[in-house]
Amino acid sequence: MFVLSAENLSKSFDIRGNQLKIFSDISFAVKPGEVLLISGRSGVGKSTLLGILSGLDRANSGKIIFKDKDLTAMTLNELAELRAMHIGMIFQSFNLIQTWTALENVEAVLMHRGINAAERKKQAIAILEELGLGDRLSNLPAELSVGQQQRVAIARTMVHNPSLILADEPTGDVDEETASEIMTLLMERVKKDNISMIAASHGAFNKKYADRELLLKDGKIFDVTQATI
Amino acid sequence: MNFDFLLCATRELKRNKRRTMAVFTGYAIAVSLLLVITAVTIFSKVHQTAIIGTTGTHFVTWLPSCGDLSSLTEEELSKLAKGIIPDKCKQNCANCTGCNKKPKDILNEGFVINTNTTRLLTLDLANEINKLPGVRNASPFLMFRFRDPTDNRLFTVGGLFLGHLAVETNSCGTNEIIEGQYLSENSLSKVIVDDGYALNNGLKVGSKVVIAEEEFEIIGVAATGADPVKADFYMLFGEAERVINRRIHNPLEKEANIVLVESVNGTVHKKVMEDVNKLMKNDSILTSGCYYPASKAIGLNEKLLWVFIAVILISSILLTVKLQLAFVVERQRDIAILKAIGWSNNSVIKQIVSESFIVSVAGCVSGVLISLFLLWAVPIEQVLGVEMDIGSPINALSMAAVIIFSVFSGVLSGLVPVLFVLKKHPLEVLRRN
Repeated sequence: MFVLSAENLSKSFDIRGNQLKIFSDISFAVKPGEVLLISGRSGVGKSTLLGILSGLDRANSGKIIFKDKDLTAMTLNELAELRAMHIGMIFQSFNLIQTWTALENVEAVLMHRGINAAERKKQAIAILEELGLGDRLSNLPAELSVGQQQRVAIARTMVHNPSLILADEPTGDVDEETASEIMTLLMERVKKDNISMIAASHGAFNKKYADRELLLKDGKIFDVTQATI
Repeated sequence: MNFDFLLCATRELKRNKRRTMAVFTGYAIAVSLLLVITAVTIFSKVHQTAIIGTTGTHFVTWLPSCGDLSSLTEEELSKLAKGIIPDKCKQNCANCTGCNKKPKDILNEGFVINTNTTRLLTLDLANEINKLPGVRNASPFLMFRFRDPTDNRLFTVGGLFLGHLAVETNSCGTNEIIEGQYLSENSLSKVIVDDGYALNNGLKVGSKVVIAEEEFEIIGVAATGADPVKADFYMLFGEAERVINRRIHNPLEKEANIVLVESVNGTVHKKVMEDVNKLMKNDSILTSGCYYPASKAIGLNEKLLWVFIAVILISSILLTVKLQLAFVVERQRDIAILKAIGWSNNSVIKQIVSESFIVSVAGCVSGVLISLFLLWAVPIEQVLGVEMDIGSPINALSMAAVIIFSVFSGVLSGLVPVLFVLKKHPLEVLRRN
């Protein structure tokens, strides 16, 4: 049983009439609680692949099955709802909204889901406190350290208890010590709640956290942990 | 219904004070300028219309005579007096009823308007003119040239109806009396004399004159200036009928030879003249003051006003859309984050449009208040140098236009840029910003 499986995914871009092939016929699957690293050089299409898996972009062909549902057949609103309910995303530069406080950034995930404001606030405060930011709820991102900002980003990713986390260079912008701190926090939660994670990285991500590594190269994907998928 | 988007919109506006104030101020200035300029222009137009619109809005219509009576033979003249129309005159009979009412002294006397001889027309025709759209008043008028048998002196008598506006503007009006008094219902055997004729003939109030063997007392002297219908003596219409009947072969039967007309205003004046001419079967002559440039100027100003307002409106909308576009594009990273964490396009659109809507409505309301203050504090009458009170300078139409403007531009200036930004791929945006 897989949380997510990608079957024969292909993606190309039309650039001024020329087809730029990113990848073709790639297939892989992620088990519950599994941490999958997708590695490869810059520009090979790792972020594009994460975008397709999250439903922010569409593949040209192939299927993505997430919890028995076909993402490729979903509408944009259904995909947005899927992200809001089941998928968490972490980005390279934390990507917090600079004009919103730590609490508001985390709360934003729970908006438009029919949860009342008080309950939203309670859940957001709970996870921020758990990550050691109980006294920084009202601070804007610019008033937080890099590590604190990434912890807010993790809180935002975890607050709605996702089944899958998609991480795009999650430690790409921080020093080794901060990266280690962040990953420790993240992995604790991932393991505790049996969350699956797909992380894309060109090398900054410490491979020790991954259960499996897939290499994206020349438009194909290879399982460098075991064998080519 | 979920109003989270409003919460986020107000939060965004509060946190980005400079940006909010820039858009807010832009709207407030644009709206207040729009309202002040509109109010001043409308004020100016109302004032101008009040003056120009009532200038030259009068004219007279009459039927020119059948032709050169001196070309008729004695026999033809004799037959004409009995109502037998010579063949050469028949083409001029439309609207005319006067063939059997020719003057006894046909070579000297007759129905005239100033120096021209005329035919007769019915009072019913005058009533029809009165009913035409754009006509404020039409008044039948009799004008006859008499010869004084004692000294062969020629003079004209005008017969008018009292209380008709068209008489006031086209002929001897109540405000033109410079001595004595105006005619009244009881002015039997009384006349008003034109000041020029009075001076030439040594007449004054109280003098007696003989008209068609009947003595009349002068009760007033009038300075009729350059009125279109100018007689030497003015009397009541019925009195004129009575004295004229003595000088023609058959008595008048509800007839006149001139219709005095007053239009509603300068903007419809030309149309009224055309309609009257059509009713008179294009056989009439219309005599008027210099109306055309006035009515044209009014139309021109009105068109210019709306073009001017439209230009301001479109410019303001484009400016705010451009401003808002810049701000939304600036926020494309935030929008990409919101999409990535599960916000639907609709949720993002609702928030951005709410922001621009709130700030535009607030800006517009402030603009209205500013303009009201300016229009209250600065008296337009004094600035424009006119003496006229036209009431409140801002009317309901202006207010409604401003509300529609704010709603439309608010929604548009939020919607257009957010739709543009939403087309971009969120992950691409996040990587590049």
